[in-house]
Amino acid sequence: MLLSIEPDDPVPIYQQIRDRIVEAIAGGRQPAGSGLPSTRQLAVDLGVNFHTVNKSYDLLRQEGLLRLSRKSGAVIQRDPGSGPPRPDWAEDWAARLRTLLAEAAAQGLPAADILRACEAAIAGFAFPRDNQREGQP
Amino acid sequence: MNTASLAGEVMVPFFGATLCIAPAITRPTVPFGVRVPAERARATIIRRERYAYYWRTAALGVGATITAVLLQGHGSWWLSRIILLLLVAADLGCYWLARNKITAVKRAEDWYAGRRQVIATDTSWRTDPPRFPVRWLIPALAVIAATVIVGVIRYPDLPARLAVGFAGSGPGSGPGNGQSHGTPKSVVSAFGIVVGQLYVTLLWTGLMVLVYRSRPDIEATDPAASTRRYRRFLAACTRAVLTLLALVNLSLLLAALRTWQVYRVSGFGSALPVLPFVVGLLIFATTAVRTGQGGFRLSGGRAGYGPPAGTDRDDDRFWIAGLIYLNRDDPAIMVGARFGVGWTFNVANPMAWLVIAGMVAVPVGLAAIFAAAGG
Repeated sequence: MLLSIEPDDPVPIYQQIRDRIVEAIAGGRQPAGSGLPSTRQLAVDLGVNFHTVNKSYDLLRQEGLLRLSRKSGAVIQRDPGSGPPRPDWAEDWAARLRTLLAEAAAQGLPAADILRACEAAIAGFAFPRDNQREGQP
Repeated sequence: MNTASLAGEVMVPFFGATLCIAPAITRPTVPFGVRVPAERARATIIRRERYAYYWRTAALGVGATITAVLLQGHGSWWLSRIILLLLVAADLGCYWLARNKITAVKRAEDWYAGRRQVIATDTSWRTDPPRFPVRWLIPALAVIAATVIVGVIRYPDLPARLAVGFAGSGPGSGPGNGQSHGTPKSVVSAFGIVVGQLYVTLLWTGLMVLVYRSRPDIEATDPAASTRRYRRFLAACTRAVLTLLALVNLSLLLAALRTWQVYRVSGFGSALPVLPFVVGLLIFATTAVRTGQGGFRLSGGRAGYGPPAGTDRDDDRFWIAGLIYLNRDDPAIMVGARFGVGWTFNVANPMAWLVIAGMVAVPVGLAAIFAAAGG
């Protein structure tokens, strides 16, 4: 998986690392069961503090996307083919999505453009076939 | 003429040529240690300064070599070392000149304005790491074993005083240097060279293992292809280093054979122990020219998948004079060198100092032991 961060971006680096890994899982580049570098290794490779990567991995662990163990290291736990998420997670995500879409509406982006942007993003995700059909209107 | 002065004289043209061609084997996006965006790598100022550097350092290298050849035989063995030091200092002056001019233009024209600066990595470097070519270490170890065997066989027949030069333990110090003051025969004085071989082998193998654990030089403009190139570069460089190690050990074996009076030579024959070392240096230099820094001269195969991640981050502030890496926020111990081919330490990392201290303490300790043993 290719991972890039922007050190001068206002978004904190730990958040950027977490976001890039979530995108890689959704895009099928990091499927469930695949490994990630250890926190120390990724910190060396990105030239950032070890605690920064630790924070990203901890976020992913709390979200149920990553399993951390001494024996097998950091392993992806869920991907688009892992079945439906927890109901409480879906509610929380819908609330965050509403805020994100509201930002676009508040800035004056037409509904059609917002929908197009959503479709373009979804087109880059690696849904399993039956899962994809369910999503069709 | 002795082996030490000969080794010193060989180093003058070698360093002269290496420093002269260094900009050609340095990645175009870090000319003279200055980070520049890929689109600016062919800027007029960079081309002009590169050519000026080639001419200046070529003239200095030729001048120093001629001086070293003319003065050989007229001075002590350390004369070639002084010429070498002066040459390196003068070449660094040329480097400094070029660097300052490029930095000035980069700042004045604000080359990084509006660019998305990123740090890119490929996690497959860790999840599918390259393997250290352990088999390539066999020749170096075989030469050490041969040295020990010959030494054990010869030891009972050695005279009471030996012509030993422990300074011959390192490649730079001239194998088998002929400081032929007699040292009383002892296991320490007779087998000093074996300790030298072991030290050089362990040091370089250890450093290369550390390099395998370090981060690869990945270009944000094409992360996937540059990772693949770096894998091939690291493999080629390690093989060249391990071959050089075997040849350095062979040089030390030849010096040992002379100490143990297996053969006697004089005049140009004293060049014999230096020969494998020179061949090893040439093999390493050829590899460096073929691969370039981080493997940028290797064909990267197909271009990387996905769009470029962005422009490599302007990290000049972490490089003192573009040569010494100092970044407190970076946990790396070793990083790719900025000028020429190789690696360097992150001097802000205490672990790096621990490694450097170990590298220095071992030979100093050994030299003390040998001095004590030699009376």
